[in-house]
Amino acid sequence: MSGKKDIRMIDIIERIGKTSINATRSFRDTLSFAFTIILKMFSKNSYSSATRMVLINQIYFTSVQILPLFIGISIILGSLLIGIVFQIIKTLGLAEYLGRILMGLVVTELSPFVTVLLIALRSSSAINAEIAVMKVNKELNTLDKFNIDVIDYLFLPRVINGVISVVLLSALFSILTLTSGLLFSKLMFGMSLDTYSNVLLNSANFYDIVISLVKCCTFGFFITLIPIRFGLHATNDLTSIPIAVLNGMVDVFIAIVLIEVLSLILSFI
Amino acid sequence: MSKKVEVKVGLFVVITSVLIIASVLYLAYSKGFFTREYIYTLSSKSGEDLTEGMPVLFSGYKIGRVETLELNDQGILLIKIRIPEQHSKWIRSDSTFSLYKPLIGSSRLIIATENLNSPALSPKTIPEIVMVNDINESIKKVQPTLAKLDKVVTNIERITANLADPQGNVNKILSHSEKLTGNLAKKDTLIEMATGTPESAQSVNESLKKIRDLLAKTDDQVYGNDGALPLVRKILKDIIVKLEKINTALDNVVKISADASDSTKDLKLLRTEIDTTVNSIDKLVSDINKILPSKKEPEIKLP
Amino acid sequence: MDKELKDFAAKNKQNLGLVSLDVPLISNLNVWVNIALIKQYHQNLPDDKAELLVLQYLRVYGLEHIANKQTSALTNKERFFAMLIRAAMVMDSIIVIDRPFKIIPDVPDDRFIYNALNIIYDSFKECHIFDYTWFKDRYRMIYVEKG
Repeated sequence: MSGKKDIRMIDIIERIGKTSINATRSFRDTLSFAFTIILKMFSKNSYSSATRMVLINQIYFTSVQILPLFIGISIILGSLLIGIVFQIIKTLGLAEYLGRILMGLVVTELSPFVTVLLIALRSSSAINAEIAVMKVNKELNTLDKFNIDVIDYLFLPRVINGVISVVLLSALFSILTLTSGLLFSKLMFGMSLDTYSNVLLNSANFYDIVISLVKCCTFGFFITLIPIRFGLHATNDLTSIPIAVLNGMVDVFIAIVLIEVLSLILSFI
Repeated sequence: MSKKVEVKVGLFVVITSVLIIASVLYLAYSKGFFTREYIYTLSSKSGEDLTEGMPVLFSGYKIGRVETLELNDQGILLIKIRIPEQHSKWIRSDSTFSLYKPLIGSSRLIIATENLNSPALSPKTIPEIVMVNDINESIKKVQPTLAKLDKVVTNIERITANLADPQGNVNKILSHSEKLTGNLAKKDTLIEMATGTPESAQSVNESLKKIRDLLAKTDDQVYGNDGALPLVRKILKDIIVKLEKINTALDNVVKISADASDSTKDLKLLRTEIDTTVNSIDKLVSDINKILPSKKEPEIKLP
Repeated sequence: MDKELKDFAAKNKQNLGLVSLDVPLISNLNVWVNIALIKQYHQNLPDDKAELLVLQYLRVYGLEHIANKQTSALTNKERFFAMLIRAAMVMDSIIVIDRPFKIIPDVPDDRFIYNALNIIYDSFKECHIFDYTWFKDRYRMIYVEKG
């Protein structure tokens, strides 16, 4: 009985150890892959007409196609959110912190988060599946046989697109939300344009913008890099595609949470 | 690749980038990044409470900030303040620079200019900063009040000590009041209360009774055939005087009972007075008795 | 056969233009992008010029209409031509056709392949066809048997 118990305990510990080693290895591999991509990103030889074309297509599918939806969400969410924040601030008598709350909440937190969520749901999953399908169909082999670097041609434009799209869409979200907040505050609370812009400008600082920018870049980088990496994990079997997508998306979620936590820590230092 | 896609992507990237750049530039402009700035150097013997980035105020309005702090060869702290062009007009040669340390909140550098027509301060001139410490100022202001407060506290302490002391005045007054009200509850009459013993009151009553008897006898004797009216009148006058004294004493007793805060010292005095009066009345009665014997045939010596 | 092909491919890696089902067209790109990709990547040819070039080649085969088609919509012959043009896009191309009758099973002999190669003969340096020996009857051309 005791012997069985011991064996079970050892099994559990072994499993924990294995999981930890796998997680660490996966984390290390992701970082190493990220490093390779970064090196390629700054190498002039990585860019060609083909890369540019893929990049444009990626930006089109990731950002331009969802623009109407994104603008709609920004305006509706922005108006509602600013309305609620106004009401709460008024009730609590914290009107002097309005600018700080709006800038801190919208620019540094909400915009990157909503953007990354939308892009991760739409594009990261697509990239993950696309790479996995290419692997299964031996299309990556095609690129190899024609001496086309998969990192240069496939991965780099996708990662760059992730960074560009998250940064641009997040900035657009901030601008649209704050602008719709102006209309909302004017209509609902009778706040003038001058007062509103003064409140925002006084609270705005470049440190927030830099933090937000760095955060968006990191988000964009990892929500495209992780799906690519997990897409490559697919085997020649069709059934490996959903598994690759599933694992990739879980890791994308973990990455988003991790980056969010790190940025919060960074902004409080 | 379709040209349409390229155009759409191009438009998106350009418009969004322009929006972002415009927003950042607008923010930078509003924060005064593009305005020309003047740098003035101030000096201070101590760098305490001085920090880089500290606001510089004129009439309570922020016109600039402290750029850098550095020590010169003489060990004097040099403070470089950065003032935007539009605010440099407030800094004249007779401007005073003071470091204001409020009781609560961060320190600030305050510029005061009495004469705005005086020549502008040359950036080469190094005026000295005057230290204004809100805490010391406040202490100075508060000191007289604190002295007064100290006195008040001492008084309160004495009062509370008196209250707490069983032998203290307040407790004495209270115990006296207690005694007095107890007495008031116990005694049947005010006279008894005033005299202190029921015997005294009885004697007063007896005396009064005797007087009444005496008056009846006197009446008899005075209005009788062998009356002694002139002598009695004199004696009666004396009695009236004595009775008035009793009246006064009784009035005092009433007063005492109404005002419970009177001390027992007064009551003692009063009692002594009443005792004296009663004794006098006793003496008087015995005198009257002597003059007007109760026996049927007394011989009254007329003066 | 596989070994010979592998060795040959390894030896001519830089100029290899492989036509094989193991080197398929990329499924999420249309035909002209699949072909143009080689010139765009290796010679940084602008996409509009690359597109024109591909269209010229397709026109030669009378297949202009497949330029914007997805690869899944192609017939076997169309797929073979697309792969052949793609292989010809490699600079100083050494075209290697791996088991052509696997790509175009409905073709009876090598005349179709010969004609196809003949049309673009100035676009490649050499051409090698690798196939199983039991298909030798389908070839009228001189062939070298190894292994």
